[in-house]
Parts: sequence; structure tokens; C-alpha cells
Amino acid sequence: MARSTTITIVVPGALRQYCEGASELFLSAPTVRDALAQLERSHPSLYGGVCDETGRVRRHVNLFVNSHHVRDREGLDTALQPGDVLTILPAVSGG
Amino acid sequence: MAERVVLSIGTKKGLFVAEAAKSRGSFALRGPFGPGVGVYSALIDTRGTPRLYASSCNPFFGMKVLRSSDLGKTFKETAAAPAFPKDDGRALANIWSLETGDGKKELWCGVEPASLFRSEDGGDSWEMVPGISNHEHARKWQPGAGGLCMHTILRDGNRVHLGISTGGHYLSEDGGATFKASNQGVGAGFVPDPYPEFGQCVHKIARHEDAPGRLYMQNHGGWSEWSGPGGPRPDIGVLRSDDHGRTWRSIAKGLPSDFGFPIVVHPQDADTVYVMPLEPMTRTCPGGSPAVWRSEDGGDSWRRLARGLPKKRSYFTVLRDAMGADRLKTPALYFGTTTGQLWIGREGGEEWECLYDSLPPIHCVKVAVV
Repeated sequence: MARSTTITIVVPGALRQYCEGASELFLSAPTVRDALAQLERSHPSLYGGVCDETGRVRRHVNLFVNSHHVRDREGLDTALQPGDVLTILPAVSGG
Repeated sequence: MAERVVLSIGTKKGLFVAEAAKSRGSFALRGPFGPGVGVYSALIDTRGTPRLYASSCNPFFGMKVLRSSDLGKTFKETAAAPAFPKDDGRALANIWSLETGDGKKELWCGVEPASLFRSEDGGDSWEMVPGISNHEHARKWQPGAGGLCMHTILRDGNRVHLGISTGGHYLSEDGGATFKASNQGVGAGFVPDPYPEFGQCVHKIARHEDAPGRLYMQNHGGWSEWSGPGGPRPDIGVLRSDDHGRTWRSIAKGLPSDFGFPIVVHPQDADTVYVMPLEPMTRTCPGGSPAVWRSEDGGDSWRRLARGLPKKRSYFTVLRDAMGADRLKTPALYFGTTTGQLWIGREGGEEWECLYDSLPPIHCVKVAVV
């Protein structure tokens, strides 16, 4: 059975309007994928800023677990440990 | 309250709203709204209390629809934006057109990848229109340089005309339940078959409300010197239909170029139509000397309107939704440029004046008298 852990999600300023202005959210999830699934249920507009309709993380959004980009670990299946920080950050791009 | 002229100006960095008295003497500018985020479509909905809508196309965090009920003094996101069903496999990449529907609250929205959505509650919820979004051709359309966009939605009773780049013109005669490609006479220069069933790079379609059977199209022209399979395709860029879009014929003769993006019909005269010819290779003003061209006989002849516009060294582009006309007795034309200039053409385009010269690159300009 999957282990649940309490982690912190750091929300970028541009998306805080979709979670009552909160800069951090706290939830229990064993993986990044499960954390996003919980966000989809609890804060659908915030989730929509991170993932598109197909469930893919948006092209210009990066997810970090602590200091590691999830693409350098196990992607959305990256395991979360108690106390981990999942940071949502927009990429440096545009003009 | 006295009537006001309102402009909704969608730019690369947000939406601006300009407002003036009917004399159009001086405009007051507000914005940017949705700052920093590109706006590719806008709508001034004059049914009842005027409402302004704009797409806010955020490449980071997704698409939103903005709505204002105070004539563009403040905007809020609607409760939802169009979105594909979860199991569809497509994801919304941009919002290219917003148009009014029936009643007081119905809206239609064309998106990228080319699909159509409808809202019955003023933009707070959206349903995909399957007749075109899941059309058997839909997965065969190809993106043009701007993306695979549904940019034109024209409604006339149960008829619905759609313009898709690159998909062509699609016509529904049952209120949008089913659609057929309707491109007889609409050429394409980028495929071996010069007149394919569908897949044309239609840039914009326009019509006059009182002459619904007459349609004008700015198609992707500039193929007169093409030497590949199928040979040259001159004059396929500016077209007219007199049978509700079933067949089309060229009206490009007399223009300096049949390439361009916008096409606008005079609000009081279905025979008067305006285009902005551009060089097909650079998509900028021919010879660096911009001009709007006007026909007053349905495209049989054209006249250059350039008084007040730069005479040389001007290489901007005017995009497909960046030209419009107000509905006053003697209408003014307006166009916005990719260099951030907003121009007004008073007396139906006879006399041009730059209203703003340093806005962000302009994607769309919508005009209403409210």
C-alpha cells in the first residue's frame, strides 16, 4: 500500500489567485503525480495552470522536488518523502 | 449617456481599451489588462449592457477569458476557459476568436488547435462543438505560421461560416451541428493540387450583416511566381462569394499584392471592402509604403488609401484581426501594427492619423459604438 507523506507545495505568485493567495499548500502524497491529482480536486484552476487538459505538465512550467527537477528523477512518479518541498516555477522564457 | 467609440486592442503584452466621443477627437487609453500576457482575440458584446471579452493566452499557465462589465475599466477572468475533454488528447494552445451567439449570453470561441467551443452563460462554462472539432478532416489540418487556428466565426441564422488556417472555409447550414468544407474556387499555393477540397490557408473572412450571401475572403496569396508542381497560382489571395460561401472567385485584380491578413467590409455598404496588401515574402508593406486599399464595387476595382500614412521606410505587418471599422454614419477605419502603432483612417480611410505609436505589437483591434 502506498505510503502517505506530508509535503509542502510552493505556489508561484502568478498562480496564487487560484488558492486564495496562499504561497504554500500542504498535503499528503506519495508521489508528485498523486500531489497533482490532489491539487486537481482541491484547486482545479491552480492545477490547470500547471497541467494541460491531457494531464501533461505545461511546457513552460518546471517542477522541483527540493532542489531537483523532476525530469532528472522519476518525472511525475518521483517519490515524495516527509518534509519534501515541491516547487512550481515558470521557466525563464519569452520576450 | 452619449454614444462612445470603444476600441479593444489586443497586444503581445495584454489588452488595452481606448475610448472617445463620437467625434473621435481624442481617445483615452486604459490598460494593459492581463498585463504581460498576449491577447489574440477580443469581443465587444453590445447585447444589453456592453461587455468586453478578451482571450488571455498565457504560454506559461494556460488560456483564460477576461470579461469586463464596466466598459473596460476592470476585467476579471471568467469562471472557465474552453478546454478539450480529458480523453481527447488535444490541449488548448491559443484562443483566436470570440463572437456573440444567440440570446444575450451565448458566445462562440475558435481556438488552436482548430476547434470550436460554445458558451451559454457569457463565458463561465464552455462546451466543445463536435461537428467541426471532431470533423473527419480535423486531424488532417496543418498549422500555418501562426498555428492551427480557427480565427473566423460568422453566423447567419442556421448558417455558420468558419475560417481555419490551414483548414479552409467550413460551412454549416444546421446551426453548427454539422459542417462541410466549402472551398470551391479557394486556391492553395503550398500543396501540389491548386484547388484542394480543404487545407487552404484562409486568413480572414468578412461579410455585411444585410447581405449574408456575400462573403469576402483574404486567403494566403502570393503564389503568382510559383514554379513547382501545378504551376503559378495568381490572384488566389482575395476572393468573393455570392452564394453563401459555396463558390468563390478572385477579386484580386488591381491590387499590388494578393497577400494580406485582414479584410473588412464597410458597415453600411456591402459593396465596399478594405484590404491591406503585404509583400508575400516579407509580409510587410509593399515597398515600405503602407496603404489600405478600398473597393467600392465589390472588388471589381481598387483604390489606394494612404494619405497620412508613412510614404517610405515603413515595414510593419497588420495581422488578420488587427483592422476594423466603427459603425458611425461616416465610419472610421482602424488598424494596429506589429510595431505597436494604432492608426485611425477618418472619412472611411481617406485621412490617416497615428493614435498611438508605441504600444506592444498589436494582434487584434475590435471597434464598437456603445
